[in-house]
Amino acid sequence: MRVLVIDPDKARAALVAEGLADVKPLEVRSAESFEAVEAELEAFAPDVIVIACDSPDRDTLENLRERTAHNPRPIVMFVDRSAPGLADAAIEAGVAAYVVDGLAAKRVRPVLEVALTRFQLMQKLRGDLAKAQADLAARKTIDRAKGLLMKERGLDEDAAYQVLRKLAMDSGRPLGAVAADLVAYANVLKGGS
Amino acid sequence: MNGIPEISRLKLGFIALTDCAPLVAAKELGLFEDQGLDVTLSREASWANIRDKVVSGALDGAHMLAPMTLACTLGAGVPATPVIAPLSLNANGSSIALSESLARQLRELDDEATAGAPRTAHALKRLVERRAAAGERALTFAVVFPFSIHNYLLRYWLADGGVDPDRDVRITVTPPPRMAARMLAGEVDGFCVGAPWGAVVEAAGAGEIWVQNCGLWRGAPDKVLGVAAAWAERHPATLQAMLRALIKAAMWADRTENREALADMLAQPHYVTAPVAQIRRALVDSDAVALQFHDEDAGYPRRPHALWLLSQMRRWGQIDDNADVYAAAVQVYRPDLYLQAAEAVDAPTRGRLLDVEPLKPMFDGRAFDPSRFEAYVAGFPLRRRLAPAQ
Repeated sequence: MRVLVIDPDKARAALVAEGLADVKPLEVRSAESFEAVEAELEAFAPDVIVIACDSPDRDTLENLRERTAHNPRPIVMFVDRSAPGLADAAIEAGVAAYVVDGLAAKRVRPVLEVALTRFQLMQKLRGDLAKAQADLAARKTIDRAKGLLMKERGLDEDAAYQVLRKLAMDSGRPLGAVAADLVAYANVLKGGS
Repeated sequence: MNGIPEISRLKLGFIALTDCAPLVAAKELGLFEDQGLDVTLSREASWANIRDKVVSGALDGAHMLAPMTLACTLGAGVPATPVIAPLSLNANGSSIALSESLARQLRELDDEATAGAPRTAHALKRLVERRAAAGERALTFAVVFPFSIHNYLLRYWLADGGVDPDRDVRITVTPPPRMAARMLAGEVDGFCVGAPWGAVVEAAGAGEIWVQNCGLWRGAPDKVLGVAAAWAERHPATLQAMLRALIKAAMWADRTENREALADMLAQPHYVTAPVAQIRRALVDSDAVALQFHDEDAGYPRRPHALWLLSQMRRWGQIDDNADVYAAAVQVYRPDLYLQAAEAVDAPTRGRLLDVEPLKPMFDGRAFDPSRFEAYVAGFPLRRRLAPAQ
């Protein structure tokens, strides 16, 4: 079975290709855009095309069905009713797949499952990274807020932290948000922007 | 049924086009909030994403190509999933643009044949023949999606001039925001797309608007609000609240004095991301019939429009002879839901008269009588036939 992976995100494409390497027998090719592989499409003749939903080439693929009308390789959207939720989960994770008409769903499912888990993995990695960055930024803000309290009210570090924590609990907001407000107000009081 | 919405947090999808205006205006003016809705607008990369997300429930509703709702329901290209169109989002605004080079070749060939209003494709037919005789490559045209008014109007226009859209030229699909770039790169010779992308390519000097589609067929069906039928059944009050907000937004957007503000709203980077000057063209300084969202009943989902779209789906072999077109039109286009909301916000409408009123004839003089569907389709010399499904 030949699989074409179209994904403008190189790192994610590599992750998907790596996962597919374990599904045998498969021949996998990946490209950043449909245009990049269009010329070789006939020769490679993929049975399955896996495409990232953030790729604007999805609509171009939808048209293949029409364009290939006189050369019998219709490609259709893959929604496997025998595995409820799989297609929905794939859309949620940002990946879609197209298969050559008539290809048995059970042969295609492992491909979509791999693509799905790899997309989810990438989503999680990116989410974790964004969260780590946000946490780091929040910690810096908390440190600055603590510093302000220590300086202005002559508190030690632990007492300054307790003040922040009480503010957060009383207002039902995250510590980082309360600290950010405090830093912002301090700037205003000092005449900063 | 103007009750409390079953759910208040909604996610609606849209594509970067001027005709997503009712959604953007409803959001920006707080009209969704007035109806108790907290709406997030999600810009999507492709029409296929919009369809899949509406069908899967990842979106509660979306700015959709009118024929897409019919294709989903009939299972053309995808497993059949009923989608409804309770509101038409716009009329007019789209155009056929040609690359600078193609426009020049046509003028050189026959300046007079390119002067009609609207210009026909007869000169193009001669150019296509000449290019084929000289062994030059076939011209490439782009549309936004196989199931789109843009595909059907381009094909109608080409076929009217004797150009076979499948054999004499190549028709490819490109998302609207990428049209201008593809023409600049010389990858497409012409395209048919909604505003502002024709104006954008013209401003970039890469091409020119050759035909305003309102000249081919004034008031042609274009975008609708698409909602999964199952979602609509579960959330009738939410849908009505959404429709009330959108109808009010459409009425606001059609007032001349609001058009400048609307253009500014749409030009924001998270909406259309195009220069405001080019967005204004279809809204303010229109050289054609301007985009309409509510006036002249642009918002009313007219079943004769659905049937015309279905006639073109049949004409080009997208659906087979067994597809029940009348049932599809009734199931998908829901003027009853529109009227309920329109009444609640005192929106003027001719109402049910629109279900029986004849549609305006096309530029070639052909009139569509929904009750003579088969004869209308059979009357086109150029058409394709899809073998009925087993």
